[in-house]
Amino acid sequence: MGDAGLLDLVLFLPLVGIGLLIAVPAGEGRMLRGVSFWVMVVQFLLTAWLYAKFDASVGGLQFETRLPWIPAWGVYYQIGLDGYNVLLVLLTAFLGPLVVAGAFTAVQKDVKLFYSMVFLIQFAMLGAFVAQDLFLFYLFWETMMIPMFLIIGIWGGERRLYATYKFVLYTAFGSILMLAAVIYLVWSLQTTTGVPSFAFADLYRAKLPLSAQTLLLIAFGLSFAIKVPIVPFHTWLPDAHVEAPTTGSVILAGVLLKMGTYGFMKLGFPLFPDATQTLLPVIMTLAVVSIVYGACLALVQNDIKKIIAYSSISHLGYVMLGLASLDLLGIQGAVIQMVSHGLTAAGLFLVVGMIYERCHTRDLAAYGGIAKLLPVYSLFFMILTLASVGLPTTSGFTGEFLVLLGAFTASWPQYQQGNSFPLVLAVVAVSGVVLGALYMLRLAQQFLFGVAKAPHAPVADLDLREKLILGTLVVAIFALGLFPDEPMRKTELAAKQFQQLVTTARLPGGTP
Amino acid sequence: MNWQSVFAAMLPEHMLLLGIVLLLVLEISSDKPRGALPLSLVIVGAAAAAAAWLALGGYSAAPFPGHYSVSATGLLAKAVVLALAFPVLLLARDDFPEGPFYPLLLSSLYGFCLLLSSDSFLTLFLGLEIMSLPVYVLVLLAFGRPESPEAALKYLILGGTATAMFLMGVSLLYGGSASLALSVFGSALASRDIMAIAGVVLIVLAFFLKAAIVPFHAWAPDAYEGASLSVTAYMATIIKAGVLLAALRLFGTAPVSGSMVDLLALLPLVSIVWGNLTAMRQQSFRRMIAYSSIAHAGYLFYAFLGDGPGRFQAVVFYLLAYGVMNVLAFASIPAGANDTERDRLDNLQGLFHRDPWAAMMIGVAMLSLAGIPPLPGFVAKFLIFKNVIAAGYTTYAVLGLIGSYLGIYFYLRVIQMMFINPESASAPRVTLAPLALVASLICVVPAVVLAVFPGWVFGRF
Repeated sequence: MGDAGLLDLVLFLPLVGIGLLIAVPAGEGRMLRGVSFWVMVVQFLLTAWLYAKFDASVGGLQFETRLPWIPAWGVYYQIGLDGYNVLLVLLTAFLGPLVVAGAFTAVQKDVKLFYSMVFLIQFAMLGAFVAQDLFLFYLFWETMMIPMFLIIGIWGGERRLYATYKFVLYTAFGSILMLAAVIYLVWSLQTTTGVPSFAFADLYRAKLPLSAQTLLLIAFGLSFAIKVPIVPFHTWLPDAHVEAPTTGSVILAGVLLKMGTYGFMKLGFPLFPDATQTLLPVIMTLAVVSIVYGACLALVQNDIKKIIAYSSISHLGYVMLGLASLDLLGIQGAVIQMVSHGLTAAGLFLVVGMIYERCHTRDLAAYGGIAKLLPVYSLFFMILTLASVGLPTTSGFTGEFLVLLGAFTASWPQYQQGNSFPLVLAVVAVSGVVLGALYMLRLAQQFLFGVAKAPHAPVADLDLREKLILGTLVVAIFALGLFPDEPMRKTELAAKQFQQLVTTARLPGGTP
Repeated sequence: MNWQSVFAAMLPEHMLLLGIVLLLVLEISSDKPRGALPLSLVIVGAAAAAAAWLALGGYSAAPFPGHYSVSATGLLAKAVVLALAFPVLLLARDDFPEGPFYPLLLSSLYGFCLLLSSDSFLTLFLGLEIMSLPVYVLVLLAFGRPESPEAALKYLILGGTATAMFLMGVSLLYGGSASLALSVFGSALASRDIMAIAGVVLIVLAFFLKAAIVPFHAWAPDAYEGASLSVTAYMATIIKAGVLLAALRLFGTAPVSGSMVDLLALLPLVSIVWGNLTAMRQQSFRRMIAYSSIAHAGYLFYAFLGDGPGRFQAVVFYLLAYGVMNVLAFASIPAGANDTERDRLDNLQGLFHRDPWAAMMIGVAMLSLAGIPPLPGFVAKFLIFKNVIAAGYTTYAVLGLIGSYLGIYFYLRVIQMMFINPESASAPRVTLAPLALVASLICVVPAVVLAVFPGWVFGRF
């Protein structure tokens, strides 16, 4: 294949970007922005090419690179695309140029450092998605922390120090436990097979007793649950979002949170299938609690960013529910929901950032009748709101619908066998859709309609750059909503593999 | 005794000895001696090169059987640590333009080389003492503040206590076995004889004192703070490495079991937690590094829970990553009006805007010390905890990792000061001295190698 090394190129392009930025003098803001933007565009184009060439009919890894890195430990530099990560990699690369362009006017301080950090986090996120080796994955996973620490800490709002330490100390705690679990897991595999290996493919065959599986799942799961975040590990999120600059929020909501759900899908559940089956009611309950609790909290917030932050908790609850349903449609729905939330939440944080740049407040009460003041802006705002609510034809609908369908399909046979608990959970999860409509429409109603008021009026409507950013996002949202078939086919084999891995018992002593 | 092997095997030591003699001659031969720094650099470089050359040739010999022997891996470790002295010497230029600093430092390095090749308690003791004694003087040299003599005295007295404990332990072991070979220690570890146990415990505690493990740590912050920057860098990296490598010589590959495990895990665990917690509150850079080094000594002793060749690998790699990053941080600290001034953490406020290179180097060093990937400190920590878990002490490993989590805060605090906080108005507007810049550049190369090819590096040991 002529595409060997292309994925590596995509992965390391952000580092090339940092190199280019270092070469540009610090004062040249225009040039720094231009370089960052075009590097991101090239990265997206390459990724889109990879996505187009990705063969949905073949299982396993594509565009794979595998080089020995630490042979004594069986650590390989192994990356590749599969049905699990192909959409998320595309999403990350797609948001890259928009993130950079979205910060053109907002970030005036330390521009060079800022875009370097954006590149660094982009590198880490892509790396965590494409890594097929646990050591490599952990490396990328941890690398994400420091650029985010600086992005929130340097360019954030008033309480940015508090928020950024909270973010780091939460995520680092999860990571430390995961590190212990990683070492333990690999070491147990090594004692049974005699060969050290960190490759996911080998770890999927590890057989562990239920007690060990449960502890390891909790250690991995805690780390992922903090990232998602699942209630009750969510309290860092509203602070981080509110204090982060727009770019930080967009990266956080757009990609970083998916890291947690991706972790569950790629590692947490399939590595420890028996523990997952045992803990499934707990996981589903937490998912549904996240959906409803996040929605309820979003309903009472007066800070626009907080509303969207809590809505993220609610939406990612759906992803968890879909994954935990272990139903094919539910799993695929979860993947679509991840991408969809990435697009809509990124869009919403961008529009909030745009109004904040103009009016310098996020207090909902300060606004009203924006539809009259800023018609174009309001149009985008409304589309994004409706996509977030899950209006049919938008991507939000596809995801939520499939997840709920999956949850019901999975719970019905159990109900017939006399276990009504999953069904009750599914029904409660549906209420999240209603609550979602409620809080988003409340936001839209107070913000867009009513008596026209806005601080620092008169305010200018969107300029061409902003229109292009939001327009691109809206096109993507509709594309995913109207034509979900293509992305779903690309994830189908992975979803089947996930389903099969999690539903097959893997306790020691059984037949291989 | 074979004279040829005495010459070849001890080549690094001979180089250092030659250097010491030359430096002393230089000192007395003229009123205004010059060239001590370049001469020391050449000597240390030659010694490191000699050790590396012998190591790469796979040289091993025992010129004094039963007392002194060299192996390829030991020589490589020697070469690496001698090379680490190179940037430390460059740092010393500002504090010690001339004077007794250089012969003292080389003597200390001589002791270091000796202990790394020791086979008997006798040579080990000689090595440890030759390494430590010059440092008591170094702490006092060119002192810029009233605390320095106090710190030096404290260090001397506690160092002496450690020596006494060590000798007492050795005499107990000798009494039981009538042998001075280091292997006695390994067999005493598994022994149930009360005299052997007492000997082992005394020796281990002596090492804890020398490595500043809680509760024997109180001298370290004072000594680190009282000494001038380059001496602190030397103590934090090479002396610590020397003590740990000496312990490694003692333990060899002997397994640790029974109640020895708790002795070797509990106090280091307390050190990790206490060091990391106390470091959060420090206002002085050197005090912070001192507490950080107390925590790091804890991780290092954790490595002794695992046995076999993995122990050596883990300790040497850790010392390497830790040493390089520490020296990098010391080299990048911007110069101040005077020594006390230079030591204030507040000087780092807004450093990124004054000197981005220094800020980034200190930042990388701090993150590596915190064990954040993909920096070398992470692989080092991974290696140690992997050995601990493989030895079956999962609980201690998890507790140690949680202890290391506590450390993240104070390392990030330094990052926050440099990158997030605005410049402090009182900060001196001086940036890196050229030699310090060279020193930091010298550290960057191994740092990158350690980060990108960790497997290649620890595969050598």
